[in-house]
Amino acid sequence: MAMTTHVTEVTTEVPWERIRTGDDAVAVAERPALGTSARIAVWPLEGLRPAQAAVDMVLADLDRQASRFRPDSEISRINKASGLFLLSDDLAQAIGVALAAARWTGGLVDPTVGAALIGLGYDRDFAAIDPGRSDPPAASVRAPGWRTVELAGVLLRRPAGVLLDLGATAKGLGSDRAVRASMRACGQVGGVLVSLGGDLAVAGTPPRGGWPVTVADQTAAPGAQLVRLPGGAIATSSVTCRAWQRAGQVLHHIVDPRTGRPANGRWLMASVAAATCADANAAATAAIVAGAGAEGWLGRADLPARLVGRDGRVHCVGGWPAGDGEPVPIPAGTHVYSGPVLLSGTARQRRSVR
Amino acid sequence: MDSDQQHRGGGTPLPGPGGPAIPLGAVTARDAGLRQVRRMSAWSAAALIVGTGAATAALAHSYATPAAQPAPTAPAATTGGGTAATPAGGGPAVTHSVASTSGSGVTKTVTRTVNGKTVVTQVRVPYHDN
Repeated sequence: MAMTTHVTEVTTEVPWERIRTGDDAVAVAERPALGTSARIAVWPLEGLRPAQAAVDMVLADLDRQASRFRPDSEISRINKASGLFLLSDDLAQAIGVALAAARWTGGLVDPTVGAALIGLGYDRDFAAIDPGRSDPPAASVRAPGWRTVELAGVLLRRPAGVLLDLGATAKGLGSDRAVRASMRACGQVGGVLVSLGGDLAVAGTPPRGGWPVTVADQTAAPGAQLVRLPGGAIATSSVTCRAWQRAGQVLHHIVDPRTGRPANGRWLMASVAAATCADANAAATAAIVAGAGAEGWLGRADLPARLVGRDGRVHCVGGWPAGDGEPVPIPAGTHVYSGPVLLSGTARQRRSVR
Repeated sequence: MDSDQQHRGGGTPLPGPGGPAIPLGAVTARDAGLRQVRRMSAWSAAALIVGTGAATAALAHSYATPAAQPAPTAPAATTGGGTAATPAGGGPAVTHSVASTSGSGVTKTVTRTVNGKTVVTQVRVPYHDN
């Protein structure tokens, strides 16, 4: 009987760097990943190495599955052709989460904005974009709409001209996957926090009172609020980051699917807490796109959120604490991703698009 | 249980009137054997039922234990407002921020005045968790 050896390739471009936060009870490390940075905080301290290895593997897999900027990724191969595709389980899950986010947000978050983003110039890894091109962006391309894509199990039908971009949900999903993989690697002992570019998820037992997390008012500015995260996840979307210029126009990566243009609403930044990071990620992006309607939508979704307006004012909704050091209430329910446990049941049904 | 039913239901048919005569002593011994087999079957069935019940209870317990199902939501308890309660603790005391949440990827905007004109410069810097 022939024996097959499975070799898992893990590519780590830059090694993890240990971060000293001032507390000896948790181990914190960070490294560049997915065009941004990945951070792990773990207790007990001996969990750091296995957690790092677990996160490395999740990120390498996610990059191979869902990166629009890798020509050899699974989604790049799908975007090159149209028709019916048999997906890997993990990419099927990632697309299912993106479609569920679109359904949940009423299309405010839509994975079919790929052509619009490319037209605006976000056609390569962000670090490789020329920040000041003189030629104007292409005419805006309204998203064809998530309903044009059909997913049933691992079968995907993608019509011609519909380019998928999972940017609004994949990073959150990556944090969810990574934090769970880390907990498994640590033998379900202690607690873990994983942050991918500031979209963070926690699992296991948190430090007393919850994980202390800084919430920024503006990217690259000192954090404005310290909150405690007892479980679940927080994600932040902002129009002040991942921005570039074309012919004098300042563009950014959060596209309004209804117009194909960068969202230009009331909010500079939206931080949302949810049971999973995929939910928080989708809701934060939806809040930016919704603009004036964000508070109403977040209220109906029963999600705690912190919105920073263009005037710099901070609006806390859904029970988000106003003060420093207070815990963020985490909703118990999920809308787009419930974790791997439910995949064989409700989540599989939920991800089928009719 | 099945073997018991098989005996009663004809799985092993007794000799009929047309069959060979069976000595009385042999019939008595045979009946006693059958009773023993039935008793053993009953005990086997009881043991099977108890074992199945115990296995079901153990399985249900493992699914209900948070440690065995940590994935979907870390908070376990739900308050009346539909939000998960803060866990009482068990973890270490941590006072300093371990991570920050903000938009990923950084474009720092610098505004300055050059020869009376406002110049806006956007500088990309790597994202680092504060």
